[in-house]
Amino acid sequence: MAMKTSDDLFNHRVTKELDNTFMRGAVSSAQERFQTRRLLQAAELGHWEEWRSHGEEIRKHVLANLDFYLYQLSENVAQRGGHVYFAQTAKEATDYIKGIAKKKNAKKIVKSKSMVTEEINLNTVLEELSCEVIETDLGEYILQVDDHEPPSHIVVPALHKNKEQIRDVFKEKQGYDKTEKPEELALYVREKLRNEYLTADIGITGCNFAIAESGSITLVTNEGNADLVTALPKTQITVMGMERIVPTFEEMEVLVSLLTRSAVGQKLTSYITTLTGIKEEGDTDGPEEFHLVIVDNGRSDILGGEFQPILQCIRCAACVNACPVYRHVGGHTYGSIYSGPVGVVLSPLLGGYDDYKELPYASTLCGACTDACPVKIPLHQLIHRHRQVIVENEGRAPVSEKLLMKAFGLGASSPTLYKMAAKMASPTMSPFTKDNKISNGPGPLKAWTETRDFPAPNKDNFRNWLKQRSKGGEQ
Amino acid sequence: MKVTLFATCLVDMFQGDVGKAVVEVLERLGCDIDFPENQICCGQPAYNSGYVKESKNAMKKMISAFEQAEYVVSPSGSCVYMFKEYPDVFQGDPIWEQKAQALADKTYEFTEFIVNVLKIEDVGAHLEGTATYHTSCHMTRLLGVKEAPLKLLRQVKGLQYVELPGKDRCCGFGGTFSVKMGNISGEMVTEKVHDVEQTGADILIGADAGCLINIGGRINRQGKPIKVMHIAEVLNCQ
Amino acid sequence: MIGTIENRDAFLSKIAQQLGRAPKTELAQPIWQYQPQDRVLKDATKDELVEVLVEQCKNIHTDIVLTDTANLTKDLQKVVDNYGGHTVVTWKDERFERYGLTSFMTEHWSQMGIQLYEWNPAQHEENIRQAEKANIGITISEITLAESGTAVLFSSKNKGRSVSFLPEKSIILIPKSTIVPRMTQAARFIREKIRDGEQIASCINLITGPSNSADIEMILIVGVHGPIKATYIVIEDQ
Repeated sequence: MAMKTSDDLFNHRVTKELDNTFMRGAVSSAQERFQTRRLLQAAELGHWEEWRSHGEEIRKHVLANLDFYLYQLSENVAQRGGHVYFAQTAKEATDYIKGIAKKKNAKKIVKSKSMVTEEINLNTVLEELSCEVIETDLGEYILQVDDHEPPSHIVVPALHKNKEQIRDVFKEKQGYDKTEKPEELALYVREKLRNEYLTADIGITGCNFAIAESGSITLVTNEGNADLVTALPKTQITVMGMERIVPTFEEMEVLVSLLTRSAVGQKLTSYITTLTGIKEEGDTDGPEEFHLVIVDNGRSDILGGEFQPILQCIRCAACVNACPVYRHVGGHTYGSIYSGPVGVVLSPLLGGYDDYKELPYASTLCGACTDACPVKIPLHQLIHRHRQVIVENEGRAPVSEKLLMKAFGLGASSPTLYKMAAKMASPTMSPFTKDNKISNGPGPLKAWTETRDFPAPNKDNFRNWLKQRSKGGEQ
Repeated sequence: MKVTLFATCLVDMFQGDVGKAVVEVLERLGCDIDFPENQICCGQPAYNSGYVKESKNAMKKMISAFEQAEYVVSPSGSCVYMFKEYPDVFQGDPIWEQKAQALADKTYEFTEFIVNVLKIEDVGAHLEGTATYHTSCHMTRLLGVKEAPLKLLRQVKGLQYVELPGKDRCCGFGGTFSVKMGNISGEMVTEKVHDVEQTGADILIGADAGCLINIGGRINRQGKPIKVMHIAEVLNCQ
Repeated sequence: MIGTIENRDAFLSKIAQQLGRAPKTELAQPIWQYQPQDRVLKDATKDELVEVLVEQCKNIHTDIVLTDTANLTKDLQKVVDNYGGHTVVTWKDERFERYGLTSFMTEHWSQMGIQLYEWNPAQHEENIRQAEKANIGITISEITLAESGTAVLFSSKNKGRSVSFLPEKSIILIPKSTIVPRMTQAARFIREKIRDGEQIASCINLITGPSNSADIEMILIVGVHGPIKATYIVIEDQ
């Protein structure tokens, strides 16, 4: 699976997902929980705005000096025996990793959760080599077993599935014969995957934060799966989006503190692990061979432009949890592995407007995402900017809308035209008006009146009232 | 004190009663209201949809219309916020950026004006009933006016206030979003009405016509016995 | 051995080009405007930090025992019994001797039928086999973060990563002297090592309680891929 997760039309996806009662309940419930916990942690930590500002300055500084820090990182990784491959495109990255798998004659690969590996479609490429690729994050594993269903949330990928559905997936695909109780499902997966860790040829991870000063990568999990993926197989491959880097351990700990609180409302997750190079002399566990694949895949095109702030993202999904639109439509509607506000901004940038042109309009610009972002990305402003690009540069706005807006532009800059329109409004709408409201509106109003009444235009002109009032003096 | 009214197109065309309430309240508080006839629309509908060029002429019209004003007051947080964005829209323009900044600096949302400029919290209003309040997104998050409306409502005699669960959550209006993505918008406003019902309030109060037309429209369609009032109308009750 | 680096020049040139300048291979240390992390538990005493740690353990499904070298063997035995004894794997670490545990573990346990395996840098496969089948893994924290209830473990040939991961239960000994306010202090400690030219461990693990997941309907399940249960034993060592 690549970044794009659906060939279906946006409108179809919306209709389908709005009908998914379980998903909507799960999402709104998760949003409540995550938001509450995030705010509690922020209040407990204190001076949250300062933390956000510090997170922002760290990310801005790194982006402005990204080439330097990547240079430093690569030097230090190599010093510790690791190999660094800079991949401009998704294909370069997957070709390189395919090469390692071939050289190692790898049959079994275990993976921890990584958005960038999904973006570059890594699993499919490896499976074409007849490698068995096993996702070890519980949520990702469930989706993988269910015929590679795409994730619907950056942090809780299987949020849209209930435990009965999960039980059925394991039953149908793997002969699972126990109940839908979460502890039993988890124990089943624990036992099944245990052996996989021990017999895998290669472990593949993503990278929450690479640390330039030491050539280290940082992995943040609750399950401990990333640790087993990197401790046991002889070869480790880490894939990182090129912007996922910090200068030193000190910035790493600040961003991890922001990440864990903003993503899941925890002070720290159960396992924060920094890995540096190959195993040391005499070590039992750890890889004999380590490869760091640094991926561009369109990120550099965002640098230096007005969308650069989106590269500050630390993938916490706080914006997703705050979004009132995501709340109702869920992750699959976005048609991208990146959903919610971050997905709205990032998907068209990495994937082009063809597949994602509706996304910037799936927003009320309410600003909840911008408020929630721990590194102060002005998300709603970037969403608005996409709209401007779509209208002006891309020329993709529907013709009818363009005409309407041109008419608006004329009408709103000519008091004469406006007064005429205002006078005509009430009589024009009178065929649709009943009891001073419109219940079945024409044209664009129809989408409104499906679920709501619309007020009839003022019969008595407000301006006349005002004029008469001032003429008449006192009230 | 001379106050220039920026009515907003929604009030002008669909919610004249709100406009009247704003005028009556401000006059009662000692203000002289004037109303530049050339005002039409802040440009949000086009601007927010990405039609920046098309909205610029409308914006220039507004800047000119209010050039002589000392204080510009409006019963809409989102429209006031649009004025605050004008300087960015005209950034680099040798004539209009400065004018835009001048307008942005002297424009106030209605409740913000009463509390922070007139320094009044008790306007002498009296309304019996239980009410809840929806905080409009643009007014709270973007414009930053959070306390003023609540300070004023607390002083309304006879009014019982119940906090709205999820009061900060968007009602689903979002301007053209409400028609472009009408089905999603419909779901969002339905949840908002449900939340309002949970409070047991018989009045829903808001400070932005867009939100109120949206939520009110859904309340009407569902036939719920909840009265929808703009805070200006509440403050005008004696 | 030094690893290889491929395709770096073109890659970094593209970045520099987008940023509108030549590629950088040198950069001064950034001076940050904000340092909010320094405030956290700034003036707490060691005893106060222990209290914070005890409180935090309640939130992370971790049992905690406060003891001293005199009572350590007794208290350790209680935890081991509670966890069902059977098979224990530990690091090869001279601190076990220092805390008076070695003879207890090697002699006393074999009498009780508790199999003990000590990590052996010359027996790689056996190490993993033993860790995998062990019921309990015992490790020692190098730095302990009070705020989050976190033990920091540094790997080495004698201190395998798997000891804290593969066994079902995890016991981490925490010398009181290792307790610091939060991750900030651990980060600085590690940076000092780097500045001193020391090679940092290939795996530095910050472990907070047992493993868990909320991937199924957001219901918290404790004990997924890593340990199912965890106990910290704080040793008064000062």
